[in-house]
Amino acid sequence: MAVTDFTIVARSLTGRAFSTVVTALTVCVGVCLVLTLLSMRDAGDKAFARGTGNMDFLISRDAGEIASVLNGIFYADVPNAPINIAELDGLVPLARAPFEYLIPTQLGDSYRGRSVMATVPEFFTSFEPNQGRPLAFAEGRAFVKKSESPFEIVAGADAASSLGLSIGDVIALSHGGPREESHVHTEYQYEVVGILEPTLTPHDRALFTELTSAWILHAVDDSEGLETLATEADIQERHRQITGVYARLARRPGTTGRPANFQSAFEAIRRSGQYTIAEPNAQIAALFRIVGNVNAILLALAIAVLISSGITLMLALYNTMEQRRRQIAVLRVLGCSRGRIFGLVLTESAILGTAGAIAGVLLSLFASVVVSRSLAQAVGVVVEPSLPVRETLSVVVGAIVLAALAGLIPALTAYRTPVIRNLRPIG
Amino acid sequence: MVEAATAGSPALVITNLVFRYSGSGETLLRIPSFELAAGGQALLTGGSGTGKSTLLHLILGLMEPSSGEIRVAGRAIHKLHGEARDRFRGRHVGMVFQTFQLLHGFSALENVMLAMTFSDIKPGEHEERARELLDRLGIERTGAPPEALSVGQQQRVAVARALACGPELVLADEPTASLDPENGRAAVGLLREVCRERGAALLCVSHDPTLAGEFDEVHGLASLSVAEGARV
Repeated sequence: MAVTDFTIVARSLTGRAFSTVVTALTVCVGVCLVLTLLSMRDAGDKAFARGTGNMDFLISRDAGEIASVLNGIFYADVPNAPINIAELDGLVPLARAPFEYLIPTQLGDSYRGRSVMATVPEFFTSFEPNQGRPLAFAEGRAFVKKSESPFEIVAGADAASSLGLSIGDVIALSHGGPREESHVHTEYQYEVVGILEPTLTPHDRALFTELTSAWILHAVDDSEGLETLATEADIQERHRQITGVYARLARRPGTTGRPANFQSAFEAIRRSGQYTIAEPNAQIAALFRIVGNVNAILLALAIAVLISSGITLMLALYNTMEQRRRQIAVLRVLGCSRGRIFGLVLTESAILGTAGAIAGVLLSLFASVVVSRSLAQAVGVVVEPSLPVRETLSVVVGAIVLAALAGLIPALTAYRTPVIRNLRPIG
Repeated sequence: MVEAATAGSPALVITNLVFRYSGSGETLLRIPSFELAAGGQALLTGGSGTGKSTLLHLILGLMEPSSGEIRVAGRAIHKLHGEARDRFRGRHVGMVFQTFQLLHGFSALENVMLAMTFSDIKPGEHEERARELLDRLGIERTGAPPEALSVGQQQRVAVARALACGPELVLADEPTASLDPENGRAAVGLLREVCRERGAALLCVSHDPTLAGEFDEVHGLASLSVAEGARV
């Protein structure tokens, strides 16, 4: 097989393998950082948007709208200002609008570090964590209301797999949120009756039980001296508390998007001063506007790393020029033109950039998976890492162009290499 | 396109060549006339600093003469410019360096094939031509890197590289400098023989007086400068 220009470039790269690998790695790290940030930014937007699903409003008594969304949908903390369940009936007249659903939720218990949301069976049939896709059961069924222990509980997909829960398992819940677990209600048993399909939303990490059971648990906390286990009969009005309401306004059949009375209903509830009403999508967008500035700074830093990798590449190639002057001089005597020498060095630089960029894409895929797992474990946000094709191509092409540009000065040095001086016998 | 040689022309014709240092203006070379016939062989002798290497660089087109003309295989090499001159040199002039200048990172075979990389010889023929030359020159370990070969073997690889493109003219710069006298004579003998077989003219420059007996035509560089003309 003939010796081609590519053979010459390849031998030059393999002849100094360590330098080649290190230089390509610097490009790889730069590309990886940029792509990981881009991938996580896009995936992050989607991940937060996914959790809100088909609800229009989240109604609570949290201190602010963002806190309400983070607590009520992302299980960030336990809300500490409850709403009495009886107030639910007042929401329709207050909003002066019909609702497709008003799903009460209560947070305040946990199981082995996972939030337990007490709610109603309608949660499984009406609320769609991903618009157009209702919750589905991988195994088992929804809970039913029980007046006394054992109660029933449904596990989100991630909660079931992480905690090793199966249908028929019997567990006991702790009072308090995941970060502040206090005593375990060992006297009340919960049987796992259903495991949900993954939704890639924070709900995957939670467990769900019927509201009455949660009230019974809180009734027993409140009733020292009960000689027998509390039942539904022991629940008093003050125990019937919830911490949030998932609300969706009724739509005319066949219509999509926001209903016409969306704004008036929102304003009516807000103006009442009794509740914190949050439009989850708007709150997420607001949150991302704040985070977006940090993202822009991080992205700028990543691009700076990429540019510095280009400078490293230039220095690495430039430094090898000193050792390669004799080779260049010999190639010139053999008939290689200055222009071709220039092209050989530029090709070498572009190959280093290409190798680094490809490695960077692969590394960023790996890094995105690691970051998404960490995010899921730390804050419960399930981010689906994916590299946006257009941005990935732009970054890869950018890295190759940058590498080729970084090769310009070394290539020019090679172009200008004096032949005669470098053919003189050494020593 | 590789600049073509003129068929039937002498391998090398030097006419009124003058080379002066650009800084001092001092004349290093002045050769009124010199001709090396196609397939001819000549030895140019001269001490250090007499301009032997400069003459070779001028013939290779790596330096510009102050005046005069050098024709290689019928073409005035300095009238070619840039890439055309590089391609012409690669195709029509072979060079055996004093220290061989084989490239590390490439095997003996690849070093020979490299000479054809920049020529118009079809890539499919490169390996066959290189192997045939190395075989003729007695190199069996064609896949070995130059540093794994003996000095004598390295020189034979360098000779093969110089002849790879089938040049009309082969230049040899101090071909015995790296060898002991016995091996030096054998190497020059082989170089002459292979050049003769392939119809390439050979111009050897050396300060080694023992080489004079190996060539029919021997010229002192100093005498060329004053002679009316030399024809080989």
